[in-house]
Amino acid sequence: MNDISTHVLRSCSHWILFVSSIVILPPVCLTLIRKTKARLQSRVGPPLLQPFYDLIKLYRKSETVSSTMSGVFRLASVAGLATIILLAWLTPWLSYKPWSPSADLFLIIYLFALARVFSLLGALDSGSAFGAFGASREVTLGLLVEPALMLGLVALGLFCGSSDLRMIFSYPHAIGVGAAAVTGAASGAGAAGIWLLVGIAILLASLIELSRMPVDDPTTHLELTMVHEAMVLEASGRNLALIEFAHALRMSIFFGLSAQCFVHALASVCHINTLTQGILSVVGICGIAIFVGVLESLAVKLQWRKVPEFVAYVVSMSLLAAFVAAGSGGIKL
Amino acid sequence: MNSQVVFLESLFLLVSAAVAAFALSHKSQVSDKAMSYLLCAIASFAIAVSFLGGGQIVSYETSAPLMLGVFPLTFLLDGLSRFFVAILSAILFAIGLFSPGYLSHLKGKISGGQYWIAFFLLALSMFGVVLSADAITFIVMWEIMSLSSAALVASDHTHQSVQKAALIYLGATRTASGLLCGGFLWMHSLTGSWNFASWNFAQPHAIFPALLILLGFCIKAGVWPFHIWLPYTYPAAPATVSAAMSGFLVKLPIYGLIRILIQGGLSSPEIINLMFVLGAISSFWGVLFALVQNDLKRLLAYSSIENIGLILLSLAISLKARAANLPLIADVAMVAAIFHCLNHGAIKSLLFLSAGAVDAMAHSRDLHRLGGLAKRMPWTMACFFIGAFSICSIPPMNGFASKWLLYQSLFKSTLLFGSYLDRGLFLTAICLLSAVGALAIAVFVKAMGVVFLGMSRSHAAEHAVEASPGMLCAQVLLAACCAGLGVFAPNLVSQITKIASSSTRPITTAPIDFALPIPLLAGTLFATGLVIYVVFLQSSKVRTFKTWDCGFGPLTPKTQASSDSFAQPLARIFRPFLKYETNATISGRDRRHFPEQINVEVKIVSILESRVYLPCLAVISYLARGLAKLQAGSIHLYLVYVCSTLIILLALGTIL
Repeated sequence: MNDISTHVLRSCSHWILFVSSIVILPPVCLTLIRKTKARLQSRVGPPLLQPFYDLIKLYRKSETVSSTMSGVFRLASVAGLATIILLAWLTPWLSYKPWSPSADLFLIIYLFALARVFSLLGALDSGSAFGAFGASREVTLGLLVEPALMLGLVALGLFCGSSDLRMIFSYPHAIGVGAAAVTGAASGAGAAGIWLLVGIAILLASLIELSRMPVDDPTTHLELTMVHEAMVLEASGRNLALIEFAHALRMSIFFGLSAQCFVHALASVCHINTLTQGILSVVGICGIAIFVGVLESLAVKLQWRKVPEFVAYVVSMSLLAAFVAAGSGGIKL
Repeated sequence: MNSQVVFLESLFLLVSAAVAAFALSHKSQVSDKAMSYLLCAIASFAIAVSFLGGGQIVSYETSAPLMLGVFPLTFLLDGLSRFFVAILSAILFAIGLFSPGYLSHLKGKISGGQYWIAFFLLALSMFGVVLSADAITFIVMWEIMSLSSAALVASDHTHQSVQKAALIYLGATRTASGLLCGGFLWMHSLTGSWNFASWNFAQPHAIFPALLILLGFCIKAGVWPFHIWLPYTYPAAPATVSAAMSGFLVKLPIYGLIRILIQGGLSSPEIINLMFVLGAISSFWGVLFALVQNDLKRLLAYSSIENIGLILLSLAISLKARAANLPLIADVAMVAAIFHCLNHGAIKSLLFLSAGAVDAMAHSRDLHRLGGLAKRMPWTMACFFIGAFSICSIPPMNGFASKWLLYQSLFKSTLLFGSYLDRGLFLTAICLLSAVGALAIAVFVKAMGVVFLGMSRSHAAEHAVEASPGMLCAQVLLAACCAGLGVFAPNLVSQITKIASSSTRPITTAPIDFALPIPLLAGTLFATGLVIYVVFLQSSKVRTFKTWDCGFGPLTPKTQASSDSFAQPLARIFRPFLKYETNATISGRDRRHFPEQINVEVKIVSILESRVYLPCLAVISYLARGLAKLQAGSIHLYLVYVCSTLIILLALGTIL
């Protein structure tokens, strides 16, 4: 009886922690990026909760919808947010998570594709050139980034001998025990190497996927040159609030995945307990957000035609990881 | 009742229904409605037959009057053929529902009697190919199928493009049949039997007939580099015919591969690797060329090439795994192939029927003349969207279920295969497939956006109305199939495993773990979406205004991105493959700031066609011109030919 009650208590606390992370972390990520950029430019920057205020402001406003649009436009933003929330539940982007069904890596990649399709359809529905050009660039980026992301996750899958992300992102309790031992793959350092490579690949891929610098500058005022902002140009009011929140949540999922890779790299060389894992996963996301802020202050936007060259770095990172993982033995039957 | 009798009766009924159809349709005035309902009735009867007998294997041999010369026609109904009969009947049923409404838009363009005779022949022969158990029956049915489909492609034969398409298609089918006949004869000389069951491709001499048969099937399936007939044929044919052809006819070569080569124990690594490479290239090539198409049906045709490539790739993985003695992977890949045949059949016939509805209502298939149909044809749009989501293999649709199995088989192969070369190959295939998936999304987002969203680009599209109820029923039925097959994939996979494991010889008993809780995910997604909509958007105040025009005055349909401009960034990346060129000329007095006329021309050259096929054809027609001298029109000369042939044959007979 006591066992059951502690179990219920634990799963309840997991749910509460998880839901509050979903609500709090995305806006915090946005603030951290803005704040870092402001500090590097010797400005004070927005208050910590500014994205919340923005969302509340948008929620109170009325919506303006173009007469060209069909119902697809508004449904697309709803469906997009629902898909991202589903992804937040399935993807192991935090070390603490409530129960979730198996999160196959191919399923996750294609669910991200589903979310992308919804945003593309919403952009095309307005009949404006802004939306369509944004959409056109977004599918191009999607094509470039998807193989890199898939290869990165497949590399981890091959390394751990499973395509289920829950299995892949389960911490080995000690060095050499757990997933890495099954593959008979390598020493702790070798494992850390693969985790690091994939972590960097996912981080770089997320910069492209989330249309941030150096692929796209989300803070310019010329939407015609942009990707995400061009796509959401026609959205307003609550609709825009949904889209902005979905985008921020997608950002924290990607940053979280990357941070998890780094934490796993650490865990494969030294022992980390559950509490530290939890703290590290949040700290990792915040750290990556600050890193992105620094990067956006230092880097310049790449010319659109140069983007494939940047993607080549990401793909080669994933390829390296994947070939090391594929060559490192596989499961001994 | 004896199952053999049931089978015999059903076959007889099918034939007699078709004969009745001929008799009825031979009159000059044919009721499309009556013919369509007859087609529906035959299809539902065939569905009933395919599920009757509870999975028993039934074989049947024709008796004396129905023999071909000295050889009886033999038929076999087992799990695999039952499955394909079910796919075919479902597609035919939907086409039957769609036909009356659609054909009324083609009045005066095609002759009803001729159309229906050819269509019933096609339906009958497709059933025949699936059921045939020996090479002779197979080739007879195959020929009826090829010729009747060629006649159907030429339905609207007053257009020059249709004539060209029919000619190209005929050329492709003739070559395919020639190769198949060669392969069959060779196998007969090796084994002394026409029956597929006694053909064994594992023996060392069987590699050449196997290659001939594989090439024959590849041509008919539209695998790269033999795919060039597809993009001509599908746009030229009426939508009902292209739905039947893309939905089922191109799956028949796949069925043939499974029935003849794979069940025959093909094990030569050269042929398996050839299949692997051809499959991988077709999937990429098809989707890449689909991206730059501006004709909706041509785009769908290229997408068919992609999907056939995926199926061929799955078959190759299955064979590789079987050769490496990894039966579980062999089963997963085989299930992926068979399941994808079903899924692609449902999806592609749905998309072609929707494209047909758009063509009939907006009077164009050209993406530059469509747009904004969302408000005018909402139901057609919903069905097309479901089909497009499925073909992009987006969960929870059916396309995802089979593609996931393919990914799983590749992933497990990379884990379990011994040689590093094989592992690298599988890893490359995973990478290629993810690029193919992303390109497919680009293709179909373009199709969805340009056809249905935004502003109408032509007067006809602006005044389009929703398709007739019958046409919608057919589409809704197929769309429901796409969604249903996706959500209930876990249950289906266990059924298909039984069929597949009988095709991959070392039978495994371990069931495939379809570890995706798709119903749960679909339910969660739908519930979350509903909650978000109700909580946030339903009560939101909405003001309708115009699209943001930067203050330059009203936007026109031409200010939207066109199909070409949407695909341009991607096409630029793949310039070396596509030979993609854009020429823009801007003219006017001060052409930089106040252009008076802007001309943009996009040019794509198919290298394969211009550099390989056309030179080959030129050589053949040059030789043919030389041969034409033989036909001089003089009876004396012909008598000399006959006499000399006789003498040569007699001489050969005495020598050999």
